[in-house]
Amino acid sequence: MHLGIKRLGVPMAATVLGLTSLAGMATTAAQASSKPTYTIAYEGPLSGGNQQLGLNMKYAVQLAVNQANSGSTFGSLPFKLKFTPADDGGSATQSPTTAQGLIDNKSVVAVVGPAFSGATKAAEPSFAAAHLATVSPSATAPILADEGWKNFFRVVADDNAQGPADATYAVQKLKAKGIYTVDDASSYAVGLVSAFDAKATSLGAKITHQQAPGTTQCQAGTGNVQEYGALATQVQQTHDPVTFYAGYYCDFALFAKALRAAGYTGQLMSDDGSLDPHYVSQAGTSVAAKTVLSCACTNLGNSSADKAFSSGFKKLAGFPVGTYSAEAYDAANTIISTLKKLGNKSISRAALVTALHKAVYPGLTKRVHFLSNGNIAGSTVYEYQVQNGKIVELGPVTQLVG
Amino acid sequence: MCFTSNFWNLVVSGLADGFLYALIALGYTLVYGVLQLINFAHSEVFMSGGFASYFVLRAAMGSSTPHGIASVGFVVLGVLAGGTGGALVAFLLERIAYRPLRRRHAPRLAFLISAIGASYFLYNLAGKEFGRNALEIPSPFTNGPVFTIFGAVVQTYYIVIAISAVVMLVLVDRVVAVTKLGKGIRAVAQDAETASLMGVNIDRVISQTFVVGGILGGAAGFLFGLSAGVVFTMGFTPALKAFTAAVLGGIGNIRGAVLGGLLLGIVENLGVACTQASWRDVIAFGILVLVLMIRPTGILGERLGRSA
Amino acid sequence: MSATLPATPPGTQPTAGGQSVANDRKTQFLRLWHNDEARRLFACLVGGVVLALMTGPEGDGISMTSGLSGALLHPRIFAFLGIGAVVWALMTLRRRYGASIRRLNDRVTGAPRRLLPDRRVRAVVLLAILAVAIVYPIYLNSFWQSVLVEQIGVYVLLAIGLNVVVGYAGLLDLGYIAFFAIGAYSDAYWTGALPVHPIFHLNPFWAIPFAIAAAMLAGVLLGTPALRLRGDYLAILTLGFGEIIQIVANNLTGVTGGAQGVINIPHFSIHLFGINYAWGIASLPYYYLLLGFVVIALVAFSFLEHSRVGRAWSAIREDEVAAEASGVSVLKYKVMAFAIGASTSGFAGMIVASQISFVEPGDFTVQLSILILVLVIFGGMGSLAGAVVGAAVLQWLPQYLRVHPLFGFQQQDLYIYLGAILVLMMIFRPVGLIPSKRRKREIGLAEHGVGTADAMSGSSDPVV
Repeated sequence: MHLGIKRLGVPMAATVLGLTSLAGMATTAAQASSKPTYTIAYEGPLSGGNQQLGLNMKYAVQLAVNQANSGSTFGSLPFKLKFTPADDGGSATQSPTTAQGLIDNKSVVAVVGPAFSGATKAAEPSFAAAHLATVSPSATAPILADEGWKNFFRVVADDNAQGPADATYAVQKLKAKGIYTVDDASSYAVGLVSAFDAKATSLGAKITHQQAPGTTQCQAGTGNVQEYGALATQVQQTHDPVTFYAGYYCDFALFAKALRAAGYTGQLMSDDGSLDPHYVSQAGTSVAAKTVLSCACTNLGNSSADKAFSSGFKKLAGFPVGTYSAEAYDAANTIISTLKKLGNKSISRAALVTALHKAVYPGLTKRVHFLSNGNIAGSTVYEYQVQNGKIVELGPVTQLVG
Repeated sequence: MCFTSNFWNLVVSGLADGFLYALIALGYTLVYGVLQLINFAHSEVFMSGGFASYFVLRAAMGSSTPHGIASVGFVVLGVLAGGTGGALVAFLLERIAYRPLRRRHAPRLAFLISAIGASYFLYNLAGKEFGRNALEIPSPFTNGPVFTIFGAVVQTYYIVIAISAVVMLVLVDRVVAVTKLGKGIRAVAQDAETASLMGVNIDRVISQTFVVGGILGGAAGFLFGLSAGVVFTMGFTPALKAFTAAVLGGIGNIRGAVLGGLLLGIVENLGVACTQASWRDVIAFGILVLVLMIRPTGILGERLGRSA
Repeated sequence: MSATLPATPPGTQPTAGGQSVANDRKTQFLRLWHNDEARRLFACLVGGVVLALMTGPEGDGISMTSGLSGALLHPRIFAFLGIGAVVWALMTLRRRYGASIRRLNDRVTGAPRRLLPDRRVRAVVLLAILAVAIVYPIYLNSFWQSVLVEQIGVYVLLAIGLNVVVGYAGLLDLGYIAFFAIGAYSDAYWTGALPVHPIFHLNPFWAIPFAIAAAMLAGVLLGTPALRLRGDYLAILTLGFGEIIQIVANNLTGVTGGAQGVINIPHFSIHLFGINYAWGIASLPYYYLLLGFVVIALVAFSFLEHSRVGRAWSAIREDEVAAEASGVSVLKYKVMAFAIGASTSGFAGMIVASQISFVEPGDFTVQLSILILVLVIFGGMGSLAGAVVGAAVLQWLPQYLRVHPLFGFQQQDLYIYLGAILVLMMIFRPVGLIPSKRRKREIGLAEHGVGTADAMSGSSDPVV
C-alpha cells in the first residue's frame, strides 16, 4: 500500500481529469437501433437521510418503465424505454449537477422529479433552458408554479390546496373552536401549516402553533424524538379538541404516541405526508384509531390496477409501496402515455413539453391533467380516516362539509 | 413564568429523557477516562443496541401482549439484548478502529476521524441490511398513565426507563469503585504508563471499558427505541445530546455524566415550554457554551480516577 | 497437528486423557490466536465477509436476515473469502520480501526520494498543471463542467480553507459549514433576495467583501472564547454552533425566508470599464472564477505556511505549552487560523449562492462539515496539494460511480464505502494521500512519543 500510493502524488490529478474525459465521452455515445429508445429519468434523494422517500419513487418509475416495455400497460409501443435514476441527495447544492447530467444525456426525454422543492428550485432553471420536461411526484412548494418554467409539472397538489381544505374540515365538520397545529420545520410542512392556520383563523378558530423539527429518526431532520413528550404535555394543557400535524408519517406516529401517552384524547389530523400505512403500523392501531388524514389524491384502493401496482412494486423493490410511490408511478405513466400519443416520429424534448400540457391520464391517485403553470388540475382534497387499523376514504372535503 | 402551569409534568418527562442521556453519556465518559478520546462512533453502539433488542424481542414475544411479571421479564430481556448488541459493536469498534491506531501512537485527530468513518460505515450498513423505515419494537407493556405526582402524570414508560437506568447506573458506579476491573479503569485513567508498569494489562482494560460503555449505550438504545422505534439514523441526535451532557457534568466523571444527563433533559423540556420546540437544540447548546465559558471542566470536574 | 499433541500413551486413563485433549485443543486454539499470521488471515477473511455484506443485496426491512442471507448464504461468499485470502497472501509476501523488493526497485528505477526535487522543476510542473486546469475543462461536456464547479471546485476551496484550521493550526472544527451558510446568507442579504432588505443593494461581486467579513467576524466571535478551551471542547462547540446556525436559518422565517429557502439570488455580473459580462446558469464561467480564487488562496496560504505565522502554528501544533512558554501568543494565532478558515468557507458559500441562486437551511448539515474534514484528511492534513487532490478525488469518485456503476455499485451505498475508506486510511496511511513533510515528521515523532501532532490537548502527554 505504502509504495503504491506514495507514487500517485500529483499524477493523480491528471489521471482524475483523464478519467473524467473518458466518462464524458461515454455518456454522449448515443445508441442507434430500429426502434428509437427514449430514456425516462428519475431525480431524487437516493443517498443520505431521505433515501427511503427517494427509493419509494425510484422503484415506482422503474416499474412503470419495465411494464411499458413488456407491453402490459400500454400495449405495444413504437419505441423502447430506458430508465435511469439520478441521485441528488435531496439537496439543493447537489441538484443542479445531477440535473446537468440528465440534460447531457441526449436520450433522456423527461424526468420524474426532482423530488424535493428545494432541489427543484435549484435545478429547474437548467431544466427549463434545456426544455426538458420534469414531472415532480412530490414537490409541493406553491412558488414553484410561479416562476414561469414551461417544462415544470407536478402530479401533487401544492400546499395551498391542502392546508385550507383541512382547515375547513376541522372547523366546519369537526366543529373545533381551538386547534393546536404543529409542523416539522420542513419547507413542505411550513407552507402547509401556514395555509392551514390562515384559513382556520378566518373561519373563527383559535390556533396555537408549535414547530417541532422532523427527527433524524425519519428523515435527515435535526430534531430529537424526545421533544414529543414535552410537546404532548403542552398540547394536553390547552385541551384543544383537534391537533393538526403537518409533516411525514414517521414523525407523526411518534407525536401521536406521545400525545396519547400524555392522556390527550382530542382528534388527530394530518396531511398526505402521513397518508401511509406505516403511520398505522408505527403508531399502533389503538393510537392511530380515528386519525383523519388528507390528500389531494384518491388512495390506493383495491382495484385490480392498484393491486397489480402494489405487488409489482414489492417484487421489484423488495419492500412495499410507500409515500409518493403511486404519485411517481402516475408521473412516469403520464409521460409514457404522452410519448405514445406522439407516436412514431422522432420526439424532441420541447415537443414532449408541449404535449404534456395537453395530457390527460387516468392515474392511480387521480386523473392527471396539468394547468398551464404546471400544477395539477382539479385539486380536490379527500379526507381519510384510520378505522380498525385500515386507512379508509371518507370523501372529498367539499362534500363532507357541504 | 412560561412553564409554571405544567412545571412538574415537564420535569417528569425531562427526567425520563435525562436518564437516557445519562446512560449514553456514561459510554463517552468511561472511554474518555481511559483514552482521553471522544468516541464519535458511540452513536452507532446505541443504534446497534436498538436493533439487537428489536430482533430479540420480536422473536421472543411474537404478537403477544404480556402483563405483569411477563412484562418485567421481557423488559429485562430487551435490556440484556440491547446491552449485548451494544457491547459487541463497542468491542469490535475498539479492536478495528482504535487499537491499530493506539499501537502506533497516532495523533488524537486520527482517532476521531477513524471513529467518524466507523460511524458512517455502521449506520449506512444497518440501513442497507435492515431497511430504512423505522421498526417498532414490540412493547413488553401497555403504556399509559400510572399515577400522578404534584399533578404530573407518570407513564409506565417513564417508570421502566427510570428503574432500568437507576439499576444500571448504580451497578456501574459500584463496578468502577469496587471491582478489579474498576481499579484497572481508574488506574489507567490516572496514569496509564505507571499502571502498565504495575502490571495492569492496558489493552484488556480498555477493551473492557468499551464493553461496559457499550452495554449501557446499547441498553439505552432499547429504552429509546421502545417509544421511538429503531432506525439506522437513530443514534445521531441522542448521542450528540448525551455527549453534551457528559461535558456538562465534567467529562471523564461518572457521576458528572449522570448529573449532566438529568440536568440537560429537564432544562430542554422546560425550555420547550417557553419557546418553540424547534429552539430546543439552541437551548441545549447555549447552556453548554455558557458552562464551558464559566467552568471549563464541567459541573463536577473531570477526572475519572479521582471522582469514583 | 499430531506433533503438538503431548505424548500421552493411548488407552491409559481414558477420562483424564479426554480432559487433557480438551485442554490441548484450547491451548492449540490460543496458540493459533497468538500466531500473528493466523490472526492476520482471520482478519482478512473477516474483511472479505464485510465486503460481501457491503456489496450484497438490500434487506427488505421486514425480516432481519433477508439482506444478510442474500449476501452471505450465496456462492458469492466464496469469491469474497478468496479476495480476503489473496489480500492476506499479498500482505504476507510483502512483509517477507517487501524490503528486498523495495531495495531492488530503488536500484532499478532509482526512485526519486522527493516528488518534485528542484524549485524550477516544481514551478514548471505547477504551471503545466495550471495550464491543463485552464484549457482542459473546455473539452468536457456540461455535466462534467458542472461537477467541476459545484462538486469539485467549491469543495477544493472549502478544503484548503479547512486545511488552515485543521492542518496548520491543528484545531478540530466540526461546524465549518456554518460559515458557508453565513457567507451564502450574507450574499442573499446584500443582493436584496432576503425578506429583510439591506441598506443598499449590491451586485454579488461587491457583496464578496461583506460576505467574507461577516464569516470572518463570526469566526472571531465564536473562536475567541471557544479557542481558550481544549481541543475536544472546541470540536463539540463548533458542532453545536453549526447546528445552531442551521436552526436559526430555519426558524427565523421573517429574516432568512425560513425552511422554504431564499430564491432568486442574482448571478454574478460585471459592469466596469466598458466590460459587461453576466454569469448565467452555465457552469464554465463559474469554473474560471473559482479557479482564480483557488489559485489566489493557494498562493496566499502557501505563503502564510512558510511565514512567521506558519511557524507559530507549527509550534502550537507540536507542543502548545512549550509554544506559549517561548512567547508565542497561542490564542491569537489560533483565532487567526480559525478566522481564515471561516472566511474561506463564507466565500465559498457566497459563490454557491450566486451560482444556483437559491439557498435553503437544509443544506448546511453537520454531515457536510464532516465530509469536508474527510476531504482534508484523505488528501493529507497540512498539505495544500493534499487538500486539493483529496477534495478532487473524493468528490469526483462518487460522481464517476454514479455514471458508471462498477461492480453493481449502488448510489445509496456511497457512505458505506466512504466510511470504510476513512477507517482504512487512518489505519494504514494516516498522513493522507499527499502528506505534508512537516506533518509527516510530526506524526512520526508522535508515534515515537514526542509531541502531539495536533492541538487537541493542552498538555503534551502522549495518548496511551
